[in-house]
Amino acid sequence: MTTTATAPNLTRIPVKPFYFNTSAHLLRITRQKANTLSEFLAALRDCPEGSIFQHSFRTLQEHHFIREGFSNDFAHWAVSACNEPSLAEGLASVDVREFTSVAELRERFVQIVETFLQRNPGSATRPARETFYFCSSESVVIPTSFVAGSLQEFAAGLRGVTVHCIHHHFIEARLRLKLMSNDFSQWLYEDMGLTEAARQLNRIDIYTITLEDVRNQIVRIVERALI
Amino acid sequence: MEPVEQQIRSDASVTESSPENSSTAANAGVVRPERRRKPRTWETPPAPVPPTRLDDYKSIVGQAEIDELKFLARDLKGKTAKMVNSTAVGGGVAEMLNQLVPLLNEMEVNTHWDVITGGNDFFEVTKAFHNALQGSDYNLTQHARDIFMMHNEQNRQRIQFNEDFIVIHDPQPAALISARQESQAHQRWVWRCHIDLSSPNPEVWEFLRPFVEKYDAAIFSSQSFARQLPIHQYMFYPCIDPLSEKNKDVDDDYVQQVCDEFGIDRSRPIVTQVSRFDRAKDPVGVVQAFKQARKYVDCQLVLAGGGASDDPEGAAVLKEVKDAVGDDPDIIILDLPPWCALQINALQRASTIIVQKSIREGFGLTVTEALWKGKPTIAGAVGGIPNQIIHKLTGALVHSVDGCAYQIRYLLTHPDFARQLGQNGHEHVKENFLMSTNVRRWLLLLRILQASGTN
Repeated sequence: MTTTATAPNLTRIPVKPFYFNTSAHLLRITRQKANTLSEFLAALRDCPEGSIFQHSFRTLQEHHFIREGFSNDFAHWAVSACNEPSLAEGLASVDVREFTSVAELRERFVQIVETFLQRNPGSATRPARETFYFCSSESVVIPTSFVAGSLQEFAAGLRGVTVHCIHHHFIEARLRLKLMSNDFSQWLYEDMGLTEAARQLNRIDIYTITLEDVRNQIVRIVERALI
Repeated sequence: MEPVEQQIRSDASVTESSPENSSTAANAGVVRPERRRKPRTWETPPAPVPPTRLDDYKSIVGQAEIDELKFLARDLKGKTAKMVNSTAVGGGVAEMLNQLVPLLNEMEVNTHWDVITGGNDFFEVTKAFHNALQGSDYNLTQHARDIFMMHNEQNRQRIQFNEDFIVIHDPQPAALISARQESQAHQRWVWRCHIDLSSPNPEVWEFLRPFVEKYDAAIFSSQSFARQLPIHQYMFYPCIDPLSEKNKDVDDDYVQQVCDEFGIDRSRPIVTQVSRFDRAKDPVGVVQAFKQARKYVDCQLVLAGGGASDDPEGAAVLKEVKDAVGDDPDIIILDLPPWCALQINALQRASTIIVQKSIREGFGLTVTEALWKGKPTIAGAVGGIPNQIIHKLTGALVHSVDGCAYQIRYLLTHPDFARQLGQNGHEHVKENFLMSTNVRRWLLLLRILQASGTN
């Protein structure tokens, strides 16, 4: 991507407006559960894709207010119920933004647990303190009242929507787009020609700040582009 | 100093105390029969509160959330639903339905609420079922089966089931699924189980299972409460109403007034457990943990509960607690009547730390209430509590008296960390355990069920 913007961004008209949507999710309890790490590995391989999505992408949304120490449910269980901090570190280091499909994400989790159990076979059958219940979610996409026909309106929309809307467009989006990007960056790049702002959004670290902080960083980048 | 619980009782039908003593319950035993005193805050039941409306939640969850609920309801407009449970008043289910049903109706999902009827024999059997399904020993006789079936059949004949969605709450009316008719193929039936089925009495569960399997979906309050069933199972966390007397914002003057009445010193740290006097809540363990912690940090303990006056076991537990307390002046025991929601609210808000050291628990809504008020909370890792408390992130989970004592010491001496836990806990409740979230779950479920049929 190269910077091509020359006209004042304030008055630039996008190719098409940005429609802010959000999504609502209902938690479903599946049949899979694990009382040991070997059961966990088997369930990780067999569970529906919705479970991988729930325990990684969705759980990040559910715990959006936590600044540090929570990455995904798998990592949390590995340390709190199995007392395996090194496995937990491995699982927690998985950044959902590096995946454009749930199948790839599942493979990564499976690989981490397999490698750990090869090196630590004694941990495979040790009973966990608490059972891990695999859940999944059923989702409904919901339009919001915010539509952006300019960069100013885009900034106003970003300020007005819920953090769930931010998650929907900024984090979940890559599963729809099948791109290492997000809806906001795509719109800034493709419809507004703001390459640098689009690139900066993709550099925001979602794991060390809250989703509200993520929103604020996005707004700041967009506001800078307005000048 | 005499335990306050005793003083409250001795003061229950008397007159105003002397002016210099009038502000504290600790001195409320001083009476002057010739003058009527003003009733204290806990002595008069409050007036009924009108049902809340959707827009009332705007100030708490924001306009965008309200808009989302209205959008979710749009496709359900004009649909009909029926909720059926076993009691119209008392208990968490009735309390929840009292709030949920008007909100669904406001969004034009026409929702009716029916309560089943039954004689003492039926409710004795269902009470035994309730306990057995939560793990108690029970010998299921043919007589008990017959009573259960007979009353379900009577209710089946009495209640009309013409709505698009029928939601049956808990085991008592579970057999009403027999009212389902093939001619109403569009109709969707849901079983909402509010109790813990993680280790049910096998005989009772096998008796109920064939009914449950005929529903389209089941709802549980925690993943661990669910069973292996051939139908879809969803998770709905129990919720609190942020606008209720128990949870609404109250001004600090009122908090101070309540503390003054109960003899609580707000200049010193306050550790509080709010719960019935029940062994499952381990109030004696709380006293022991408090006494350990107080060796290192100055604090007071408030044990606020109820149920000791109308429950023989509660009275026995209260006596055990008093024995454990001895003549400790820093421990205040309050046995409050059931209408004291606002006073409990004030006590929770006055607290520095809230403890819920349960050793068995359903979901633990007192934990939800504490977290909602932004209080650093220490709780037993049982039942639904781990869904609410993520250790060291939204509170502290403990497994023993020693663990509880340590966490009291730690949180009292690390106020910044404690404050962060409280803030995270508040956000966690806002995200997952409020009435508005419960409404959202119901709307989502009805939409999903509608899409799965021909509604």
